[in-house]
Amino acid sequence: MKKILFPILMVIVLLLTACGGKTGTTGGGPVTITFSAWGAPEELAVWKQIVADFEAANPNITVNVEVSDWGAYWDKLKTQLAANTPPDIFAMDAPLFLDYQSRGVLLNLQPYIDKNPDMLKDVYPQTLSAYQTPDGYYGLPRDFQTIVLFYNKDMFDAASVPYPTADWTWDDLRAAARQLTKDTNGDGKIDQYGFVFDQWDMEPGWSEAIWAYGGDIVSADHTKTLIGDPAARQAWQLLSDMVFVDKSVPDANTIGQYGGDLFQAKVAAMTPMGHWAVPGYNAGGFKYDAVPMPKGPAGHATSVNSAGFVVAKVTKYPQEAFDFIKFVLSQSGQTRLAELGFACPVLKTVAESPIFLQQSGSTLNQQVFLDSLAFAHMKPVFKGYDEWASVVGDGMGAVWRGEADLNTTLNDIVTQADAVLAKNK
Amino acid sequence: MTKKTQKLILDIVTYALLILGSVIMVGPFLWMVSTSFKLPADQFTRTLIPPTWTLENFRDLFAVDIDFPLLFFNSTYISIFIAIGQLITCAMAAFCFAVVKFKGRNLLFTLLLITLMIPSQVTLIPNFIIFKLLGLIGTSVPLWLPAFWGGAFGTFLLRQYFLTIPRDLVDAARMDGASLFRIFWDIYMPLSKPALAALVIFTFQGAWNDLLHPLVYMPAVPNTTLTVGLAFFQQQLTLGGKFTVLMAGALISILPLVIVFFLAQKQFIEGIALSGVKR
Amino acid sequence: MDYGLKPLGREKLSLWLMLTPTLIGLVFGVLGSIAATIALSFTHWDLLTPPKWAGVANFIALFNDPKLAKALTNTFQFSLLYVPCVVVVSLLVAVLLNRKIRGVSIFRTIYFLPAVTSAVATALVWNMIYGKDTGILNYIIEVFGGKGICWLCTDNVLLALIIVNVWGAIGEGMIIFLAGLTAVPREYYEAAMLDGAGGSQQFFHITLPLVTPSIFFQTLMSTINAFQAYDYIYMLTRRGQGDSSFPVVVYSIYRNAWTFFNYGGASAQAIELAIFVILLMAFYFWLEKRYVVYE
Repeated sequence: MKKILFPILMVIVLLLTACGGKTGTTGGGPVTITFSAWGAPEELAVWKQIVADFEAANPNITVNVEVSDWGAYWDKLKTQLAANTPPDIFAMDAPLFLDYQSRGVLLNLQPYIDKNPDMLKDVYPQTLSAYQTPDGYYGLPRDFQTIVLFYNKDMFDAASVPYPTADWTWDDLRAAARQLTKDTNGDGKIDQYGFVFDQWDMEPGWSEAIWAYGGDIVSADHTKTLIGDPAARQAWQLLSDMVFVDKSVPDANTIGQYGGDLFQAKVAAMTPMGHWAVPGYNAGGFKYDAVPMPKGPAGHATSVNSAGFVVAKVTKYPQEAFDFIKFVLSQSGQTRLAELGFACPVLKTVAESPIFLQQSGSTLNQQVFLDSLAFAHMKPVFKGYDEWASVVGDGMGAVWRGEADLNTTLNDIVTQADAVLAKNK
Repeated sequence: MTKKTQKLILDIVTYALLILGSVIMVGPFLWMVSTSFKLPADQFTRTLIPPTWTLENFRDLFAVDIDFPLLFFNSTYISIFIAIGQLITCAMAAFCFAVVKFKGRNLLFTLLLITLMIPSQVTLIPNFIIFKLLGLIGTSVPLWLPAFWGGAFGTFLLRQYFLTIPRDLVDAARMDGASLFRIFWDIYMPLSKPALAALVIFTFQGAWNDLLHPLVYMPAVPNTTLTVGLAFFQQQLTLGGKFTVLMAGALISILPLVIVFFLAQKQFIEGIALSGVKR
Repeated sequence: MDYGLKPLGREKLSLWLMLTPTLIGLVFGVLGSIAATIALSFTHWDLLTPPKWAGVANFIALFNDPKLAKALTNTFQFSLLYVPCVVVVSLLVAVLLNRKIRGVSIFRTIYFLPAVTSAVATALVWNMIYGKDTGILNYIIEVFGGKGICWLCTDNVLLALIIVNVWGAIGEGMIIFLAGLTAVPREYYEAAMLDGAGGSQQFFHITLPLVTPSIFFQTLMSTINAFQAYDYIYMLTRRGQGDSSFPVVVYSIYRNAWTFFNYGGASAQAIELAIFVILLMAFYFWLEKRYVVYE
């Protein structure tokens, strides 16, 4: 409807406010930096706590925290970057890292890391690789997510199906899903599904399946899309059969009715998911636990991803920004983050301690997230990730709606996806 | 059939249609209210009356550490400024376009309309850069200042209305020696109350519901507007399928506007009634 | 439409004073934003690095982009259905409400309610209403003996979106038309009645012609709104990370600018959209000259 209309250069104001813009404060005095992240409102409270701890240890630094929801976060960030007024520190999702780093808007952290040689000693190496470039680290991880298989104990009990184990194969999962799909209130419509996976984003579902079958997502040099290769197609076929043959997985329209996470809505018995969903599941009022993702013909495979920090290249306070990052990566920072419950700490000492492993309010087997690191593949990181992912996601959407044939669609997707990769070389 | 029966039948048909339409208009809101008072476990029950009434959804909303009063205040004053800005500048411009003959009138008006064509997402960046140069990011100024530089929608709306005001009034005033401004102020403005009220309602509502601009110019919760604050909650709630809390949040977000509309609506009615009498 | 008072002497100053705010807005609006959009459409710009000249590459890309083609088709289909529905229904409502009946202000409030609320908020409840298995709409249909359909599935999504968007826009149109209807002087009706004209004759020979300025306005605004409709459509059809099962052009512009680092391409698409609307507008202005009645 009504739009806010166009602003203008007020000639008079321009004359009165000489030079416009702010002048930076001279060094030595108190410093204020901004940290921007995405998250849920509950996360804002914990970040404020971490900031309070940091400010106590560093009295001349003030950190302003801004938390937004995922969508708003990136819109805001890009606008700020475009106008050259980005936050000093901002959160980064690993797959998107190269899109920003390759465009020169990130500060190279290597010189600062070099002055703190033991800083990364205890960090899980799998979480660091996403942020490494030939001339050093342009970002650092703050927590990681491995994908595991969550299952609803109540539904399994009600159907007398034995719980999943760490030795399960994808076929075992498929069989159990069939048994757990039912019409519980006898109205002729299925209202409980055995399994649900994200039909757009690779992380909670289909990348794991592809890897378990020996396939891969993109080539190591990011020039070829591999999701149409034979091994991967077997994985797609399995998933597709679960949706259309077994009907143990709901289609996109059914999912939309329930909001998005059918496991949390107590409509699905199993789902691949990361730790970020745990606080929501805890509040869901049902008994659940998790096991590693099932094996495929190529063995166990799952996905590891991380949320990290990066510093804006144009920041006026690189040292202070780095100090904040260092703090969050320290024992005390990571402990606070573990309290958040949304992710796994990257610092081994914290992750393998009771702080993470025994969280109050949950009987979840937290160890499984750490064990999964052993066979985890990194979620791909490459330039043009968002556009590539939308080609795949949009294309597969037609398949999951039952409107397109899997194999021909995959052919089209691979061609278009390769074009995106080529454009971004 | 007598005139009276004719009128009666017409009235019945009118009422029937209006009532049927009302059900459709209001239905979704009733559903929204109903769901926001239901227990989460009951969120899909097909009854309008909640099986169990509860306030927990509203409590969940306010339990989060967000300064709702400040958000509310920000949304309010910003929307008011915008409405005032548009009212003044669009009315003046509309008068010129509708009543005054000057060179380039049609061209200018067409150019104005063309500004409506470009979606706001695209113009956001150039505007942002301008305000950044002026050091106004983080304040509410970029949101309401532009309202004082006219607007295509408001000008167009009022121009159409001004065109329907009878010329003889104007010609008579002219013969009495009234200046342009007096004609504007003493004839056109009073006679256009319905259109002016409509403009205020539309402008206020558009400003209140705007998400993109406050997001970009006032990014830090809590010093932002209600829409930004609420979007923050909605994301998580939607994922979790917590529809009862979502509905509670939606209800809270639309309530202020509904109330304002009820109040402004009375003015509006008076405006229409008065203008009818005057003619 | 040549009417106009000529400003006399010093009045020229008043004229320009009254126009100045709009002029400033216009000049900088055109220069600052539209010109920038046009300029950027000739570049490749990813927001983070300086723009690079692209010549007409973005415009050529407009023709090779299957996603954009789909978005255009959706947008046209949507607009074709939306505009007549909104204009006709809100005119009808306004005419009904203009009669001397009781409870007019209550009805006015009820019909305007959807237009007052934010699309983001009400789309949430429509999503619930349209649920295939869980939604109340299908329930109501089944209670009346029909068979519920999947409203948001590809077959029916256009209908579902039209319903929601028209529902949300009736209030606006109603207000515009009410304002226009009350501007029709009562003497005309009285004179007509004295001449023995009946209700429908009065409507078609007095009301309708004199309301054409409002019809013109509402049709034009509805068209612009239709081409730029986004909120309801996105909220009801979104999938995955920002994807939508019923993409429209504004959606494509938004994604290219903000997600795909393709601001130049997005600008080109915005210009293409604007051109379509401008052509339609020119058509409407032509119709205005022929059919719209100003006193």
